[in-house]
Order: sequence, then structure tokens, then C-alpha cells
Amino acid sequence: MINIKNVTKFYKPSTYALKAVSLDIAPGEFVSVVGQSGTGKTSLIKLIIAEERPTSGQIIIGGWDITNIHPKEVPYLRRQIGVVFQDFKLLQKKTVFENVAFALETCGSSRSKIVNVIPQVLKIVGLEDKVDRYPHQLSGGEQQRVVIARSLVHKPKLIVADEPTGNLDSINAREIIDLLKKINELGTTVVLVTHDREVVNNLKKRVVTVDDGQIISDQSRGRYVL
Amino acid sequence: MFLVAVSRVFKFAFQSFFRNFWLSVVTVAIIALSLFSISFLLMINILTQHVLFVVQERTQVYIDLTAEASADQAGILAGELKKLLSVKEAAFITPEQTLANFKERHQNNPLMIESIEALDVNPFSGSIKISVNDISDFPAILQELSKSEYSEFLEIEDQEFTESKLLVERISEYSQKIQRIFLFISLVFIIISILVVFNTIQIGIYTHREEIGIMKLVGASNSFVRLPFLIEGFMYSLIGIVILLLFIYPFLTFIQPYIDNFFKEYSLNLTAALNDNFFKVWGTELLIGVVITTASSFLAIRRYINK
Repeated sequence: MINIKNVTKFYKPSTYALKAVSLDIAPGEFVSVVGQSGTGKTSLIKLIIAEERPTSGQIIIGGWDITNIHPKEVPYLRRQIGVVFQDFKLLQKKTVFENVAFALETCGSSRSKIVNVIPQVLKIVGLEDKVDRYPHQLSGGEQQRVVIARSLVHKPKLIVADEPTGNLDSINAREIIDLLKKINELGTTVVLVTHDREVVNNLKKRVVTVDDGQIISDQSRGRYVL
Repeated sequence: MFLVAVSRVFKFAFQSFFRNFWLSVVTVAIIALSLFSISFLLMINILTQHVLFVVQERTQVYIDLTAEASADQAGILAGELKKLLSVKEAAFITPEQTLANFKERHQNNPLMIESIEALDVNPFSGSIKISVNDISDFPAILQELSKSEYSEFLEIEDQEFTESKLLVERISEYSQKIQRIFLFISLVFIIISILVVFNTIQIGIYTHREEIGIMKLVGASNSFVRLPFLIEGFMYSLIGIVILLLFIYPFLTFIQPYIDNFFKEYSLNLTAALNDNFFKVWGTELLIGVVITTASSFLAIRRYINK
């Protein structure tokens, strides 16, 4: 699903966010990328969703070499990747339904598809009874569920979650992780970036540890080792 | 698919406009005020042009007739002059009319009136009053009048033509200077308006930066992200023009008496002048508004779109 080959990301004047990183993630895997703040985890995510370009190396997503992806092709890549962030990134002036529909509307999906798909994804995340609420009327956990629902509307093969539990209490955090596990069980590859030790240890899935821009550990049923 | 995308672009533009209502109101108000200042300058320019035109129109030259010239000959001469293409009007002014005009002109100067009345005879000869279509035609007319068949009837003084020509040249010079000054002031106003509108739209788009980021994140194309803001900018201009239209006519009605009072017989009915050029004026204003707002939106959004 993801093939990262010898990727380096350098920021001027003298910062190496990633140093010759190589990582292969198979379809259907659930991989936690862990590490302390500023070690290069978010840079890795930015490279995967083509928000940044690597300084050197090669990145292939689902067989598509996005190393030097043209800006016009980026939207098509993003429609194949569900992205979940710590700060939710919801539109405060749109309802739950509108926020989720937004992802389909911006890509030109028909009204009938929107009306058909959204109840399904809202049901998956357990928000089918809150379609008309605005984000400020929801808890942090519920807001993150909306984001996950939005990331699911394109039926992506890959979901990238960057610290999705960072703003949540432990109960809500567990529910979000359970939701991601459920999505993974349905066949979607999940890349979870986190520094939450408890989350990682409870998952009992593959753990990739990043430190100082390099992968220092890659365990198939790993634990948080830092 | 295309129609769906177009309808969504419009939907997002309208949603953004109404859901950020007060920001939209402020932006529209600033655009309306900017266009108002441009319109105001435009009207002053039209008024000045009109005044200069009237002054030039009313410039006339009197050519004195010799004592030998009879009224019949003068009438024939005036008729001949009228046939010239460059002459707009040529009329014979009798010595009596000239005297009466003189007295009327100096009615507040008793010394002048007494002096003229002290003379037993009318000291004025008749004259021919000439007005031309274009002041630059005067030298040609002068040459025409210098021909031998006219010379015995006319006392042509080059100086008179030269003075008139100088007067009109001066008017023309002032006109050009005033136009240059207005062009400069208009440019300054337009630049200020562009900067103010640009900043307002920049602030508007800054408040949407998160939305732009999310649109990009969920896979919206650049044009899909950009178009609602461009349409919103167009809406600002259109509403700004409508507001300007609603306010400008009562404003013109209000200031017209002051303009009439100031310019007297040179005054111009601004409402009528505006109506005569309705589509030209408002079309230009709309074009200016649309260019400013869409260019501002385009430039302001560029910062957030390339992520």
C-alpha cells in the first residue's frame, strides 16, 4: 500500500526532518508510527498526503509514484486517502451532515450519492442521530468521529490519522481507536501517528518508532519503546 | 457532473456570503464607498469638462467695420462668412447696437457713460460678430478676411485675433492641466480603493483559510476552491454597485442646487448627464469593481491554495 524508499526531507537552513527513511506498509495493515515530538512523524504524514515533497528518495502510494506528483494530481490522491488530524479540521459553520457531505460535494459527487453514502458512514461512526448538530454542539470524541466519517466517504484504501486522540480524554480516545480498528477490520489500511503509550500498547499491532528523523525500530506486534 | 460542480460552486459562494454576513456587509460597504469616491471624481471631471466646453463655445470675436461700410454691405459680408465651414455664426452688429451694448456693459460706471454721452456722435462703427466651431480655425478665417474684396470694409487688427486665440489656448491649456490633475487624483483614488478592497478581501479569505485547507485536504481541485471566492468577490461588486445606485441619485439631487449656485450659467444637470451615459458609467464601475474584487480574491487565495 505504501512504499517509502530511502526518503530524506530537508528544511532550510539546516534541518533534516527525515533521513533516508524506508518503510513498506502492506494493504490492510494497521501500523502505529510512534516517536517523541519533532522526530519526523508529521513530516512523514505530509509526504504521504503530498502536502510536502521529499528532498530525495521515492514514495509510492497504492502503486502510484507520488514523489514528484503534479499539483493538479494532488486532489485525486487525497480522494484516495482518508486523513484524520488532532485538531479535527471541521467547518464550524456547517452541520455534521454538511461537513461530511463537503468531502463529496467538493469532488463533484451527485446529490443521490451523497444522500446514500452519508447515513452509512455516520452509522459506522455512531453519529446517525446527530446529523443536524454543529461542531460546537458536539464533544471532542464526537467531532473526531465526524472527521473519521468524512475520511470514509470516498471509501479510501488508506486512512492516515495524525494524533487523532491528542485532544481527547482516555474514554473518547479508546472509542476512536476502536473505531479505527473496526475500519481496519473492514479492509482499510490504517497509519496511526501517536505518542500515546497506552493506545499503542493496547493495540498490539505493528509499531514503527521514529527518532531524530530515522526509523529506529519496526516491530510487527510492538510496544511503545521510547 | 459539470453542472453539479457549477451549482456547488455557486452554493458555496452564497453560503460563505450569508454565513459571514457582517464581514460581507463591511466588504460591500467598502467597495460601495470606493466606487462612490471614483464616481464622485468622475462627476467632477464631467462638470469641469462641461464648464470648459461652454467657455470655449461662448468665445466670440468682433471685427470692426470701416466707416465706409454700409449696413447692406455688412449684411452681405456676414452672409458670405456664414458660408465658410469653419464659421459657426456671423452676425452684423450695427453702430447703435454696439453703443447700446457698451452702455449696458458699463452701466455701473457713470464716468464712462458720461464720457460717451458727452460726444455728439456715435463713436462706434458697426462690427461683425464671429464664433467658430474650433478656435484653431481663426487664423484661416483671418486670412480669408484679409482678401482685397473685404479689406475696404474691415479694420482687421491682428491683435484682436491673437488675443482671442491666446484666451482659448489658455482655456485649452487649463483644460489639459485640469484633466491631468484629475487623472492623477483618480489614479491615487483608484490605487487607494484597490488597496482597501484588497485588504478587506484578504481579511475575508484569511478567515476562510481553515476551510480552504479542509477543502484541499478532502480532495477539492484548486479551481473548485478558488471559484466560490471569485464569485463571492463578484457578488460584493454587484451589490456594491446596486447600493451606490440607490444612494448616488438622492446625493446628486441634494448637491445640484449647490453646483448650480457655484457654476451659475455654466452648471450642468449631473443626474441627466449620468442618465445619458448610464450603461457606460455603471458598466465601467461594475467592471472596475469586478476586476478589483476578483483580482484581490485571486491573489489573496493563492497563498492558501498551494498547500
